[in-house]
Amino acid sequence: MKETTVQTDVLVIGGGMAGCFAAVKAREAGRDVVLVDKGYVSKSGETPYAGDTAVFNPAWGHDLDAWLTQVRTVGEYLNDARWTEIVFRDSYERFLDLRAFGVEFLEEDGEPVRLDHPLTQIELPDRDKFPPLVSQVVHWLPGWPAKLRKAVVKSGAKIIDRFVVTELLMEDGRVVGAAGFDVEGNATRVLRAGAVVMSAGGGGFKAVGYPTHELTADGHVMAYRAGCEVTGKEFLSPHHTNPEEPGWPPIYPVFASGHSAAFPGAWHDPEMVNAEGDPVPVRGMAWHGWIDAEWEAHEGRAPVLAAGPPDGKVRPLSGPGGHGSMLGHAAGGIVPVDDTCATHVPGLYAAGDSCGTCFVGAAYSGFGFATMHAAVTGARAGLGAAEYARSADRAAPDARGEAEALERALAPLRRRGGFTPRWTTQVLQNALAPYFVLYIKKEERLRAALTTVEFLRDHVVPKLYARDDHELRLAHETANMVANAEMKLRASLLRTESRGTHYREDFPRRDDPDWLAWVRLKDEGGVMTPFTEPIPEESRPDPALPYAQRYPMRLPGEEAR
Amino acid sequence: MTIAAIDEAVCNGCGICVKHCPIDVIRLDRERKKAVIAYREDCMLCGQCLDCPEDAVRLEPGWGRAYLLGWG
Repeated sequence: MKETTVQTDVLVIGGGMAGCFAAVKAREAGRDVVLVDKGYVSKSGETPYAGDTAVFNPAWGHDLDAWLTQVRTVGEYLNDARWTEIVFRDSYERFLDLRAFGVEFLEEDGEPVRLDHPLTQIELPDRDKFPPLVSQVVHWLPGWPAKLRKAVVKSGAKIIDRFVVTELLMEDGRVVGAAGFDVEGNATRVLRAGAVVMSAGGGGFKAVGYPTHELTADGHVMAYRAGCEVTGKEFLSPHHTNPEEPGWPPIYPVFASGHSAAFPGAWHDPEMVNAEGDPVPVRGMAWHGWIDAEWEAHEGRAPVLAAGPPDGKVRPLSGPGGHGSMLGHAAGGIVPVDDTCATHVPGLYAAGDSCGTCFVGAAYSGFGFATMHAAVTGARAGLGAAEYARSADRAAPDARGEAEALERALAPLRRRGGFTPRWTTQVLQNALAPYFVLYIKKEERLRAALTTVEFLRDHVVPKLYARDDHELRLAHETANMVANAEMKLRASLLRTESRGTHYREDFPRRDDPDWLAWVRLKDEGGVMTPFTEPIPEESRPDPALPYAQRYPMRLPGEEAR
Repeated sequence: MTIAAIDEAVCNGCGICVKHCPIDVIRLDRERKKAVIAYREDCMLCGQCLDCPEDAVRLEPGWGRAYLLGWG
């Protein structure tokens, strides 16, 4: 087994939008940078499928209050208003950066074409009290992620593709690097760094339909194990598909055309029809696609029909509960402790979908927001990590700790038998994917799923085995998905109310007195411990507003109260 | 199934599909200088292997894995 040690100032883990920005900005600050990705930078994570990015720019007539109100309303007051404003205010500079990287945008007369992206095709009740949703996106032209990669290369950052990080290296309570192995070739590496940026995306459960199988919450889980707090896990980023051809057509050629709006996504189609031929009402969230179809199924009125991919024809819709949540896009992740995206663990910074700024709150509120957030937090984390790497004393390498980390990385390969990652993943999917677990939640069902997940955690994950380097990667991903499942279930159990994309059948109303708070998770003596953090005063809704005006969308079950 | 075939008569062994596959479905047979589908069951149908400059990759609709979809 070949073993290599790499030394750098700033290590960036994950090379999507956030990681590329972090690498470039840390280089601009004069630091050595190594960027690693378990895929190929520009082709991995969710970045290749992003069709647009939102840009806030007062010179284009954008009104900050209107944008903030949109996020507050759709995110049901759980957005961190300070971060929402930071992301909006930084976004135009990041747009200029993208242009400087050579990313081409759809333009007319030298100005980017800006499209209003209606978040909702439905009329909100009390429309006069809820201003029109106003976000604007700009569309990039095909091949833009390759321009990001070129910008990283040009900056002088070193890229290591197809390398799986398995854990963060710690010394004296600080993160001092990472360890892992090459996807192909049975080689391990120790990456020693002055500071680390975690930008490895969010996490799902390898569900069919949307190509996010590599996003297995690696970043969230590695940071959690290093002592970070993680937030937002009870919320979802639902993306429907159809059950007949869940992954067809392959999404990349369609989205990478630079015109994702041309892709007729079923999830926000207003024309859902249930098995009895009745239109499906929008429930809970200001757009179709969260629990509307799930509730019809729950009531025995599936299949639900909708026009959708690949061709806009009407066909049965699969619930996102069936194919699984995408990621919790920008809703949660590793908690940042300041504006540089530093975390609770010195030396570690978080960016993109790995970073839990809570900038959108309890539901995703605008097309192009995730890429905007990734660019902004990536740049900030890159600069923050660069400054930390410059100013902090370096610890002497801990050879024994590094060797133990590599031993843990290779452990599934050393076992001759046990449980395969594929079997374990399927058991996990079967426990979590049915709509009645993470979409229409109830205490006893969450507890039942948690019992399965705890068994996987305690009995199966320690005995995962891999027959080759490919399965070694799957084994680590599986372990991370199991940890992510535990986070999602524990956060969902603690939040005894409904809000945004978190719906509890047993608590179907928003509960402002108790739950204007974030749920966070941290490791306490080996026990995953959820706790609450009240949102700041300025993020709270006006208590004088009647409930129905604070929350214009009705949830199933709350009318009866 | 998902990724269906890589036409060996057309494949030039450049390895672009190997690099562009985010989940390591395709490997390069270095002796024969041909891309091979090594872990078909992990294909997520993203389609990034269609970046092939020789148009050697063929995908098929459908999904081969047992999985809970829809509502039964």
